[in-house]
Amino acid sequence: MADTTLLAVFQDIDPAANAIEKLHEMGITDDQINVISGVPVAHRMLGRPHPHTNVSRLSLGGAIAGFAFGFFLNFGTPYLYIVPVGGQYITPIPPGMILLFEMTMLFALLATFLGVFLDSYFPNYRPMEYVAEVSDGKIAVFFKVPEGDQKKFTDAIGKLGAESVKRAEAQQL
Amino acid sequence: MTATSKYFSGTEKPHETQHEEEHDPRQYLMYDPKPRGEMNAMVMESMLTTSWKFWVVFGILSVLVATCFFYAWGYMIAEGLWVAGVMRPSYWGIFLVNTVFWIGISHAGTFISAILRVFKAEFRRPFTRAAELMTTFGLIQAGASIFMHLGRVWLAYWLFPLPNARQLWPNFHSPLMWDLLAITTYVLGSTMYLFLPLIPDLAMARDRSTGWRKVFYRILALGFRGTEGEWRHLQTAMNFFAFAIIPVMFSVHTIVSWDFAMAMRPGWSSTVFGPYFVLGALHSGMGAVAVVLFIMRTTMKHMDYFIRKEHFDALGKLMLIVTFAYSYFFFNDYIVQWYGGDRWTDTLLHWLEEGPMAWMFYQLIFFNLALPAFTLWNRKIRQTPWLLAIIGLLINLGMYWERYLIIPVSLTINRMPFTWKLYEPRIEIFLTIGTFSMFLLFYMIASRLIPLVPVWEVQEGQMTHTLRKVGKAHVPTVSEFE
Repeated sequence: MADTTLLAVFQDIDPAANAIEKLHEMGITDDQINVISGVPVAHRMLGRPHPHTNVSRLSLGGAIAGFAFGFFLNFGTPYLYIVPVGGQYITPIPPGMILLFEMTMLFALLATFLGVFLDSYFPNYRPMEYVAEVSDGKIAVFFKVPEGDQKKFTDAIGKLGAESVKRAEAQQL
Repeated sequence: MTATSKYFSGTEKPHETQHEEEHDPRQYLMYDPKPRGEMNAMVMESMLTTSWKFWVVFGILSVLVATCFFYAWGYMIAEGLWVAGVMRPSYWGIFLVNTVFWIGISHAGTFISAILRVFKAEFRRPFTRAAELMTTFGLIQAGASIFMHLGRVWLAYWLFPLPNARQLWPNFHSPLMWDLLAITTYVLGSTMYLFLPLIPDLAMARDRSTGWRKVFYRILALGFRGTEGEWRHLQTAMNFFAFAIIPVMFSVHTIVSWDFAMAMRPGWSSTVFGPYFVLGALHSGMGAVAVVLFIMRTTMKHMDYFIRKEHFDALGKLMLIVTFAYSYFFFNDYIVQWYGGDRWTDTLLHWLEEGPMAWMFYQLIFFNLALPAFTLWNRKIRQTPWLLAIIGLLINLGMYWERYLIIPVSLTINRMPFTWKLYEPRIEIFLTIGTFSMFLLFYMIASRLIPLVPVWEVQEGQMTHTLRKVGKAHVPTVSEFE
């Protein structure tokens, strides 16, 4: 039987956390639940698993790539295009440190920025399940339930203080 | 009797009432929460409410930008650098004064946003974006000033490592190349750092807009919904940026100082120029933040809720600390050169003290050292927005003079007295007016297009602040959500 996604909107964190706990009791697993909010809510407040992110790994990757690029610019290209400067080494190390530092930081920052885009699938202009009240401070919990059990879940979550529980529909943001 | 009548007429309050008011936590933004929807509406209204005065100022600045920036620069490109005042011995003139000045201004944005975020200083929350915008807009002016200085601006690509027919290759061991790399890193880094925390507020604006604004915010919000994953990625990135942008910020102005310090010239060759320039940048940047916050608070609707006396007070304290640090480096730089006994350095120092530009030197000392050090001790002065803004403005005037003395004036007094000639700016004056006008114009445009207050950060802060009853008092308490 196909799953239906329900959307429950809460005024505050406490009833949302209680509702998530209830969903767990009713057999809904964490990967079937998604929470959206207008401010970052720590995962432990809602009893949710720690969200995974690749951003820090990408930052590190960017830093390594930047260091390598800086190294190439600094110690490689002078041999490709020799610029004789009276009495100086072709590749002196102390000034090279500056280039290495700047390139490492630049690539790390770029990779971090792009990491947010990659991990969050930005930009994404397709219709998505959303409720605009979230930006006014409310908390929305999306959860997948079996098609026939819709009413059972709606009643259970409604009793825990949800302002509304309804079928979630994708909309153009 | 007089005291009693003042009390009953409401002009003077009894001591206990005053005491209670002083300790009323609601005077602090974090303890005076409003519903998120209401705060959103306030910020949106501040963007959408535009008076005729706004358009008058906007029109004047647009004309100034068109004439003093674009026309003057176009004229200089067409005619050549002879229309500028730069000539032997001062080949570096106001264009580089402006470059150093604008890079300095750009530093406070990152400093306030990144360092205060790292140390979790809560007062930062409502004004980080206004400060970060200063970084981006300041760097645009700094970049433009460098290109003006280049003269043949269409050959700027020679600075980039592009193999070409003439086999020109940039010398990466030149301080001017370090400048290019550091400023490029800083421009890109600070712009990304500005954009990341802006995404949730753009999503908020998207949800509350119609027409072209809806399209504009929908594109910029990138489809942000506020899922747990999106917040996690965003916060991880913002934390990384906060830590990483700080050394980049320090490197930029240090490298700018090395443009001078690496040369064996009187007044330039100094081992403390790096930290001295960084402190100078923070000094002028803090002052500029005070001015920007004052203008925002007085001209934009509802901003008096978000930007309060507590913020000016905190900023004033930071300015005081930076004043002392700057004074220390200023004195250190000065006394070492004065004591060194080098003939040409002595001549330069005497010239600064008694020459035709001495008025700049003494204004520098008064505005940058004496004025903030003697006034910012006072809490009432710190908490008076217009006074703090005036002090900030005068600090910036002093810092501009400082850069002017370091660059064209120091170049005047060199080891070849037969070349001495005082620098007289010509078209540079118009171009300077153009860059200042463009900076202000960008701010005015930004104030209509993007939320200048990071609402989600303010609400996040208000959620973490509570009042806990200890004995008979309610004690402000901050909890850690992350």
